[in-house]
Amino acid sequence: MDETYITVSEVTDYIGEIIGSDLNLRHIFIKGELSNVRLYPSGHLYFTLKDDGSQIKGVMFGARYKLNFRPKDGMKVLIEGKIEVYKKNGLYQLYANKISRDGLGDLHQRYLELKEKLDKEGLFDESHKKKIPNFPKRIGVITAQNGAAIRDIITTIERRWPLCEVILFPSLVQGDKAAENIVYQIKRSEGFDLDTLIVGRGGGSIEDLWSFNEEIVARAIYDCNTPVISAVGHEIDFTIADFVADLRAATPTAAAEIAVPPYGEIKNGVNQLKLRANLAIDKQFEDNKSRLDNLLSKKIFTNPCEIYAPKEMMLDNLLNRLEHSSKSLIMKNESRLNIVKNSNVFKNPLEIIEHKQSVLDTLVSSLKYSSNALVMKNESRLDLVKNSSVFKNPDLIIKDKRENYLLQLSKLEILNPLNTLKRGYTLAKIEGKVISSSKDLKSGDELEVEFEDGNVNTKVI
Amino acid sequence: MADENVSFEDNLKELEEIVARLEKGDVPLDNAIEEFKKAMDLVKSCDDKLKNAQDTIAKIVKDNGEIVDFDIE
Repeated sequence: MDETYITVSEVTDYIGEIIGSDLNLRHIFIKGELSNVRLYPSGHLYFTLKDDGSQIKGVMFGARYKLNFRPKDGMKVLIEGKIEVYKKNGLYQLYANKISRDGLGDLHQRYLELKEKLDKEGLFDESHKKKIPNFPKRIGVITAQNGAAIRDIITTIERRWPLCEVILFPSLVQGDKAAENIVYQIKRSEGFDLDTLIVGRGGGSIEDLWSFNEEIVARAIYDCNTPVISAVGHEIDFTIADFVADLRAATPTAAAEIAVPPYGEIKNGVNQLKLRANLAIDKQFEDNKSRLDNLLSKKIFTNPCEIYAPKEMMLDNLLNRLEHSSKSLIMKNESRLNIVKNSNVFKNPLEIIEHKQSVLDTLVSSLKYSSNALVMKNESRLDLVKNSSVFKNPDLIIKDKRENYLLQLSKLEILNPLNTLKRGYTLAKIEGKVISSSKDLKSGDELEVEFEDGNVNTKVI
Repeated sequence: MADENVSFEDNLKELEEIVARLEKGDVPLDNAIEEFKKAMDLVKSCDDKLKNAQDTIAKIVKDNGEIVDFDIE
């Protein structure tokens, strides 16, 4: 028998090829319980998957980044991956792509049902959320006394806002008694005049965190008069406690950061306010000063004379005019007065009186004289008239006049031409005109000849 | 002087309001000076509180109701 020996490597390669070429083994789904779980700093996870009858070694590369839970011994899991031979150790092993928790279906169902129920009751309503105080003086924390959570919270608060006191209400945060304990401490904390209450724990498996999905815890948080921040590690998206709390933080550290203001920022803020107050008051002073300066620069302050000088000038002018006009008025009246004063009336009134008296006397005497003369003249004229013969012997005058008349009459009788005609004389007339010379006549003239007893018309031959 | 019993938050809020009023500039100067004094008192009060801050006081309420200092170390 020709026996050919092959090397270990060769047989392992051979087995590897057989296993690697099997389609069933290249994409396989396996369930089991984890043991010998080791998570290396490289992020790779090594474990043994077993059940009552067998076991298989397994590895998951980059598990730290792929898993949303921390794998532990005894944990039931569902794994998706492939079987390959690890040549160096001569092992076939499971290379896991996905690992998920087995048996969570029930829990998840309970979670969803409770969430829906409480949501319908309104426990998650925003209107019930209390405001978390900005500057708490005392914060209560309900978590495990020995856990990392309380240390994270205290150090964070110390760092950010040391003005705040932290009171721990130690509680179980996992296991069967946890929910009851948490509820007890929530109620107890009410008597401590807390500004804010943080309820939570660090990360863990869904079972570890389960107390925060219990209805009694949710209701205790809801009923709590202190504003509650939930601070449950982030294994799953949200616990029921997160929904019902007034504020949700992803971790205890985050809860502490939310619960208190940042010291540095507040200090800066106060300094800023101080600075702003100073700037504002300075500005107001400056503004007022510039307003004052502006006022002081007005003429009324810098050169007040300029304001009243024109008025003064006007006043002077008026005074001047007043003086002048009053003076001239006085002078005018004085001169009038002087004229009056200097008149004789005042200087020598007796003289005037005497003069007037003498004039008057003269006048009186002349009046007397002339009136006497007139009287005498008229008296003598009257006497003359009275002594005239007219008045003394009117008959004599009448006799004279009569004699004279008769004399004249006899003369007149002698001269009457008609008497001549009686003695035989005639008058020759042409056209009424007496012809006294023959030379005035010529042959043919018609001649009127007047006789004492009538007229005859003749013709010159 | 700012009231010691008034909370830090109330002091800070009042300080903010006063500063806002001062910055608006419509407070008459006399009042502004009063406001400014008040603001400085508030700043001092806030500063004092901030300066006086020691390490956070941490306590634990024991099962028997006793309250004792809690040391995280």
